[in-house]
This record gives sequence, C-alpha cells and structure tokens, in this order.
Amino acid sequence: MKTRLLFFLLMVSLSSCFERMVEIPEETLGLAPIYGEETDKLIQIMDPQPIVSLYKIYYKAPYIYAGEAGRGVHIIDNSEPSAPEKIAFLQILGNSDVAIKDNYLYANYENELVTIDISDLDNIEVVSRLENVFDKFVGDIFPEGYSGFFECVDPTKGTVIGWSEQILIEPQCWK
Amino acid sequence: MKTKNIFILLFALFLFGCAEDSQSSLSPGTSTSGQGGSLARFSIVGDYLYTINSDQLNIFDISDASQPFLKNTQFLPSNDVETIFPFGNWLFMGTETGMLIFERQAEGTVQFISRYDHVRSCDPVVTDGQFAYVTLRATGCRNAAEGAVDLVEAISLEDLENPQIIGDKELNSPRGLALDNDVLFVCDGPAGFWVFDVSTPGTFETITKVENIDVNDVILSNGIAMIIGPNNVYQYDYTNLPTLTEISELELE
Repeated sequence: MKTRLLFFLLMVSLSSCFERMVEIPEETLGLAPIYGEETDKLIQIMDPQPIVSLYKIYYKAPYIYAGEAGRGVHIIDNSEPSAPEKIAFLQILGNSDVAIKDNYLYANYENELVTIDISDLDNIEVVSRLENVFDKFVGDIFPEGYSGFFECVDPTKGTVIGWSEQILIEPQCWK
Repeated sequence: MKTKNIFILLFALFLFGCAEDSQSSLSPGTSTSGQGGSLARFSIVGDYLYTINSDQLNIFDISDASQPFLKNTQFLPSNDVETIFPFGNWLFMGTETGMLIFERQAEGTVQFISRYDHVRSCDPVVTDGQFAYVTLRATGCRNAAEGAVDLVEAISLEDLENPQIIGDKELNSPRGLALDNDVLFVCDGPAGFWVFDVSTPGTFETITKVENIDVNDVILSNGIAMIIGPNNVYQYDYTNLPTLTEISELELE
C-alpha cells in the first residue's frame, strides 16, 4: 500500500513537469482513484449505496447487477420489472467485472479471482480466492504506460488502493 | 415391457440432454449462469469462465462452481482486448483495433481463427454467427486515433477466416449493443438508445430511438431490454416494435 502511495505521489509530482495539454475536455473517459481505509472491509455486502457512475450490467434472474467500476455492484431485485428495487450493494474494491453461475459470483479483486457465495444476500461468503491470476486490470493499480486524463488524487480522502475507468468531468490531471 | 419403458425414458432423457446442450452452445450462458452485457470482460460458457484482460485470456474451470481453478492462460494476438462475447463454439473479442475470433476447444483452450481490424477506438462486439456488429467509439475514448469516427459496423462472417465489413452507420458515441434476430440495439451514450432493423445485411434501418437518455450497455431477456446508464437502469418491452414500451426507470442516486 505504501509503495503505491509513494509511486503515486511521485507521479503526481512528475505530472506537473509535463506540458499542459491544449484543452481539458468537459467529459472524457479516464482513470479515477479508489480510496480505501486500511480498516475497510474490502469485500462486503452493504445496504444500498449511493452511486458514482454505473458502467456494466449483469443479469441473473431475479437480480440485476449494476456494476460500478472500482467499487462493486449494486444489486437490484427485478422480480417485478415494472418496479425494480435496489436491495443491496456488494462492495468489491477495485472490481471491474462479475459473472455468476448457480449461486456463486465471480469477480476480479486486485490480482485475484474471488468466488462469493450469494445464496443468502444477507450473509455472503467468500469461498475461494485465486491469487495472481490477473495483472494489469484497469481498476487495479495505475497501469504502466497509461497516458491520458485521470482524476487528481485528494490525499484527504484516504489511501489510493486502485484505479477505475470512469467518465471524468473536466479532469485536471493527466500524463 | 418394463425394459421398453426404461428405454423410452432413457431416450427421452438423452434427447432432453441434447436439447439443453445445443441451447447452451448457442446462447451466451446456460440456464444456471447469468447474462452479461456486451462490455463484459467475463463470460461463462458451460463449465468455463473466460476472462480477458489486455492481451491475456484466462480460462477457469468452474465445473465445481464453488471451487474454480485456472485451467489455462493464453496470450492474445492483440494487447488491447476489451470485451468478450461467446457465440456457439466461438468467442468474439472486441479490441481497440477491431475484433478477434476464436474457436473454443475441448479441455478449455481456444484456437485463433481470424481478426478484423479498423482504426483505433473503443468497441464491443455482438454476433449471431452470420454477422457481427461492432461499435467504434472515438468520442471520449482515450486511445482513439486521430480522425477516428463514431460508428456501428456490420461485418459478414460468411468466411469466418476472412471477416468483411459490409456496411456502417455513423452515430454519436456508441457503446454497448445487443442483437435479437434481425433487430440490433445500440447504446449511444448521451445521444440515446437506437433500435435498428438489420434484416438487409449491411444496412441499419431505424425502427425507433429513445432520445434524452444516457446509456452504456444493454442486456436482452424475454423481450425486455435492460439498459444501464451512468445513473439509471431502464427497462423496455420490445415485443411490439416499432413501439418500445417503457416498463420502468430506476434512478440510482
């Protein structure tokens, strides 16, 4: 964690050396930092949460999983498509994708594939973790060789634990 | 007599098994797995979970759903793979520079078949096996090449080893898409949601369009289009086209 922070601070200080780009777009796809506290439980089920920006969608009746890059999935009960209801948030920090077979949800989490038993949404359980199966996932660490806009880090928000691809509004940082 | 009954039963079970198999090989996902949108990097086909990331394809054996294991890792002939879409025995991948086609093989490996290249932009792919449709988004795509345009393209798969573009249509900032027979659904970002008749190969005839919604990706299920935008999940009934009937709009605050 500390190495990443240092790496990042280095990048932030370096970024001021780069020439200013001609113009800052009103809206663009780029990377945004994911903050976490050391005390945060990185994978957990929570009450419905406010959203930042949804991107991907996954469906397994009766639930819709609305993915929020870098944070996890909002779980929507779609038993009645005319009255869908947000029932929970499955936090998986750094996540970009999920897929489900039977009652098991697979998700990328840092460099791991985690398998979560979701048969009881009030009481989820991580039943398997395969380490070092992914690298370079957007949403994991700041990708090497990335060039483009990113959201500037605000150290008051906590430690940067990863990056996610998001639509950025007038981003002030780039490399 | 009893033996005969058992035989009939076994035969029926055999047929049933066949039907289920062929269905699972034709549609993304099986009855027990879920359904992803076209922007997905994860895809389940039968007992395998395929994940793509940059130039790497991981194949996980999930025959025991609770205990997956990494069966195989293959490196892809392109280092910018963004999306994966299974169809039949094939895996289609959307890359920043086009589309890759692979054949799935027994024992959890894939064999490269062909590629289709275009200008660098952002793009997922969907297919019905005869034609593939890719969206190319230049707007807001950080790696888009100078001069890249926002398009949806139709590609003929008549010769799978040599996919050919047969038509395109300019859009605003297209993202996810989905196909149901001859009807193509395209999410065009803040420009809305398009429904095209693609029954004449290579043409995109507008059936209807929903304006004023901002949308990223879509899943089709039982005549319902579930659409995700930055802040909303929209659902439309598309069984009475050209009328698209709104079922619900869930705003996630």
